Amino acid sequence: MRSLAPVAVAIVALALLQWLLRDAEYAVYLMTRVGVWVILAVSLNIVNGMTGQFSIGHAGFMAVGAYSSSLLTIFLDEYRVGFLPAALTDQLFFVLALAVGGVMAGLFGFLVGLPSLRLKGDYLAIVTLGFGEIIRVVLTNLNVIGAGGKTVVEGALGMSSIPPYTSFFSVWFGVFVVVLLAKRLAASSHGRWLLAIREDEVAAEAMGVDTTAYKVRAFVVSSFFAGVAGGLFAHFLRAINPNSFTFVESMQVVVMIVAGGLGSTTGAVVAATVLVLLPEGLRTLFLQLGGADQSLAQKVDQVRMPIYGLLLVVIMLTRPQGIFGSTEAWDWFSRRRAKGGGAKA
Amino acid sequence: MSAPLLEAKKVSIHFGGLKAVSEFSLEVRQGDLQGLIGPNGAGKTTAFNVLTGVYRPSEGEVRVCGERVNGKRPFAINRLGLARTFQNVRLFKELSVLDNVRVAVLPERRPVFDDARVQRLKRAGGVPGVLGAALDAANDYREWWRAFLRTPGFLAQEQGVTRKADELLGVMGLTHRRDELAKNLPYGEQRRLEIARALGTRPKVLLLDEPAAGMNTREKADLMVLIRALREQFSLGILLIEHDMKLVMGICEHLTVLDHGETIATGLPAEVRANPKVVEAYLGEAPAHG
Repeated sequence: MRSLAPVAVAIVALALLQWLLRDAEYAVYLMTRVGVWVILAVSLNIVNGMTGQFSIGHAGFMAVGAYSSSLLTIFLDEYRVGFLPAALTDQLFFVLALAVGGVMAGLFGFLVGLPSLRLKGDYLAIVTLGFGEIIRVVLTNLNVIGAGGKTVVEGALGMSSIPPYTSFFSVWFGVFVVVLLAKRLAASSHGRWLLAIREDEVAAEAMGVDTTAYKVRAFVVSSFFAGVAGGLFAHFLRAINPNSFTFVESMQVVVMIVAGGLGSTTGAVVAATVLVLLPEGLRTLFLQLGGADQSLAQKVDQVRMPIYGLLLVVIMLTRPQGIFGSTEAWDWFSRRRAKGGGAKA
Repeated sequence: MSAPLLEAKKVSIHFGGLKAVSEFSLEVRQGDLQGLIGPNGAGKTTAFNVLTGVYRPSEGEVRVCGERVNGKRPFAINRLGLARTFQNVRLFKELSVLDNVRVAVLPERRPVFDDARVQRLKRAGGVPGVLGAALDAANDYREWWRAFLRTPGFLAQEQGVTRKADELLGVMGLTHRRDELAKNLPYGEQRRLEIARALGTRPKVLLLDEPAAGMNTREKADLMVLIRALREQFSLGILLIEHDMKLVMGICEHLTVLDHGETIATGLPAEVRANPKVVEAYLGEAPAHG
């Protein structure tokens, strides 16, 4: 039961935070966006960082999750569970839709992973890139007419009027789950097998690790969480289109985990948070610098994206292994505790 | 005489037109300590790679514990009881010494779909490949789920793995390095860690590829004692490749000599040393005129 304590703590803490932030609309907006990207980064890190396979098509899986979960909630919108209040029914359907979105994305992860994970390095990267593009093109040409002749998915215009189910709580509970999984997996036999594949595939295979199978397993779980992130993203923006899931988005996730330190879950969380908040932070800063003169503020505002890029270059030049390398925040705590214990004994 | 645990019958492998190893035969039984020697480029490591499934033999047959393993993947051959070390140390460099061994230790798990039964059905052809793979996947995801929840069963299983790994580190004299990264170990200890890792897979036969390479005389002497002790303690059959003739002659009870992929001699160390073909392979052809 002690192992489930963090879950209870997280639920209480997140509910409290949601209540505290009930009037801070802008903060909730930012935190929700941060949360979605953190889930994407941490889940991609399971494949790229822990297993050492270079995948750059994460936005494709996100798109699969976003579309399939939205389709389900729109379809279920007309139904009610009789004895439950409407709000609760919605959240119940939402959880179901997220699960379905995740499973669909995981299924695609399996289909892509099975043949392509026999490839290594650049070759795998190209296949995953191609997959992401295929998904986007298919979605651009996808039209779905719902019951009653209503167009639900409209090609390049995507989907609109998705019910706004995503809350601060649901996004950050998703973050909590994926971080806890990454952390606990790394401390288990199955996680160590993934790390062994990253370190030396030949040696891992010789030590009885079914490298092909475990690469696919990692890929599927990673895609599952990308799908969940996509679902949360869709029910937060309420409108999605194929251009929300381009190669740029895929690369953004890769940039996050590389800047944070490949293989470090802490790094993925921190880098995703900083890189989402940075453009917003710079905007606020420059608007204040401009003071009353709004036209000057606008001009200064235009340099914020180059600054963002420059910061990435500086990180990579000064710390090529990423901000956190492959270390984790919880390792520092346990090490300190171990040292303290040693001093007492 | 016990049945051979590792058996190679006239195994050949060619890469394109090149015959790297031809008609290589060998039997390793429990309690054996055999050597595979030969000059550089003779095909010793290639022979190891064929036995462990890195390469598929072009001709002939390899059997591990009675089961034919031609074309099986290295991990499956390892699970049958054949473990190896590598000529140029291949540790998991960024993992701790303990984790290197823990990777190799298979947890005693209680799968939803009983492994043995799945294996039996697969072998009998009762489960088509796809369904078998799905059952394996279901088992694995259940383990991920248990790791995520940290169930009491999972924690006990992890403890078992850690205990076994610690035990092996103790045997190989690496306990004091337990929490260091593998890449920070001195070379001799890295070699010992590789052996500890191989033992983690609970092998019946251990293949050592130049275990003493790069060690000094003192370390070599210790290693000889250690290898003998391992054979007793884990009731292994051991096959080792070695360049150091003194070590090979001192420790091995049976030798196979390769040259240009051909087996040029087999037998007791003393016989092999007296064999003119072996002398020729190592020292070059004897001058024709005295």
